[in-house]
Amino acid sequence: MWRLTIAILAIAAPAMAEGLTFTIGGPVASQDFHFKAAVFVFRTAGCADSGKLQVSATAEGVINGERRSVALKVLPASKPGVYGIYQTWPAEGQWVVNLKGACGNLGAGAIVPIGPKGFVRESAKFFPRTATGGEIETSLKALTQGENK
Amino acid sequence: MFTRHVSDQLAAHVDGQLDTLEARRVESHLAQCQHCRAEHEQIRFGMMCLEHLPTAEAPAAIWVSIAESIPERWLSRPHPFQLWRPAFAALAAIVAVSAAYWLFSRRPETRWEVIERHGVARIGAGEWIETDSSSSATIKVGQIGSVELAPNTRLRVVTERPGEHRVMLARGAIHANISAPPRLFFVDTASGTAVDLGCEYTLRTDQAGAGLLQVTRGWVSFQWKGLESLVPAGASCRTYAQGGPGVPCFDDAPEPLKMALESFATNSAALDTILVESRVRDTLTLWHLLWRADLPNRGRIYERMAALTAVPEGVSREEVLKLDRGTLTRWKDELAWTW
Repeated sequence: MWRLTIAILAIAAPAMAEGLTFTIGGPVASQDFHFKAAVFVFRTAGCADSGKLQVSATAEGVINGERRSVALKVLPASKPGVYGIYQTWPAEGQWVVNLKGACGNLGAGAIVPIGPKGFVRESAKFFPRTATGGEIETSLKALTQGENK
Repeated sequence: MFTRHVSDQLAAHVDGQLDTLEARRVESHLAQCQHCRAEHEQIRFGMMCLEHLPTAEAPAAIWVSIAESIPERWLSRPHPFQLWRPAFAALAAIVAVSAAYWLFSRRPETRWEVIERHGVARIGAGEWIETDSSSSATIKVGQIGSVELAPNTRLRVVTERPGEHRVMLARGAIHANISAPPRLFFVDTASGTAVDLGCEYTLRTDQAGAGLLQVTRGWVSFQWKGLESLVPAGASCRTYAQGGPGVPCFDDAPEPLKMALESFATNSAALDTILVESRVRDTLTLWHLLWRADLPNRGRIYERMAALTAVPEGVSREEVLKLDRGTLTRWKDELAWTW
């Protein structure tokens, strides 16, 4: 019986462990004046060892039917665990920002659509892992079709 | 059409080393070129980071290691320089004082550049600038940004020191675009002071102080006699003659909420509408209302905020109703992620 209990716990443990997560917000959330011009800021949670935390971002877009990808610099704010994203992708076309996070065995992802007035919070999607190519394309398609404004 | 980028001049522009015409050319290009604008922001960000690096004192042990590396024979007999050291020190002091006096007496007067329809002028502390119904003007605020004056605007430069740039807007409208550490740029009006926290905004006021603050980027603190409103990008805040700042509200808030907010001070039923219509991001408005509501209504506002967002740890209903500053600041810091 106790072997069964241990086996169940071993299988359930990863599910019960708190995962790595992203939260996004406007520049005011950073409380750092350096980020007043950032498109958005984000913070991480759930990484027990900040030394293991790795975050990266790309801008994924479509310009006149042509698919583009731009690597972004993720700038740390004065508050630990808070980062800012600046727009270094072209102004034309439709774009989403693909966030990737890793902390040891934990992963996190987010797709943040960018509209004419900045990031579209309501349409952002969050994952307990890196977003797949298909999920990125789905978000871009929704933007192109005008679903995310 | 090919466009020549200005990457080579961005650093000089950040340092204020370009002449007026060249700086204007760069700024015109930046307004149209996303690539150069992003690079410009990165250079400026880097400069700001450098300015905030702490000064580190050399450890005392370093002098010991320096002394130990000096050959013994140099230490055993007085060097000619040591014999003349007092005289050299006095001479160096005289030269330094003289040079400082000469430089100070010739220091160019610090006056901001004003670009108007009919040319470029300069304006200094205590001086007024006024536009008529058909004119506008742009003031370069030192090295930290610019202020555009709309028609029919009257403004005075109060202070133009490196540590404080302050103007007084008597009437009219200005659009400020400031890139600087917070609390370097201030706009006084009859209804309070807009404290720049790194932002871009439009401020309108009449002579009595009634007006509107609308923030486009960053955020602004509007203060009057201890009353403060924090206005982030995408939000606006009315200002009142003899009343200071109103309650900020997002520009995309539901119209019934905006209308109810206008009459909150005089209409007790307005709060009902505000609470019903408020969304998650309207906790910006609700948080500011906490400070302005009586105790029973403060409780209602708290309940609505708790229903819209999770109340963070360390924030208790009791402390919120008592308007405990630390508690409310903690809650605001968390709510800001939804604004």
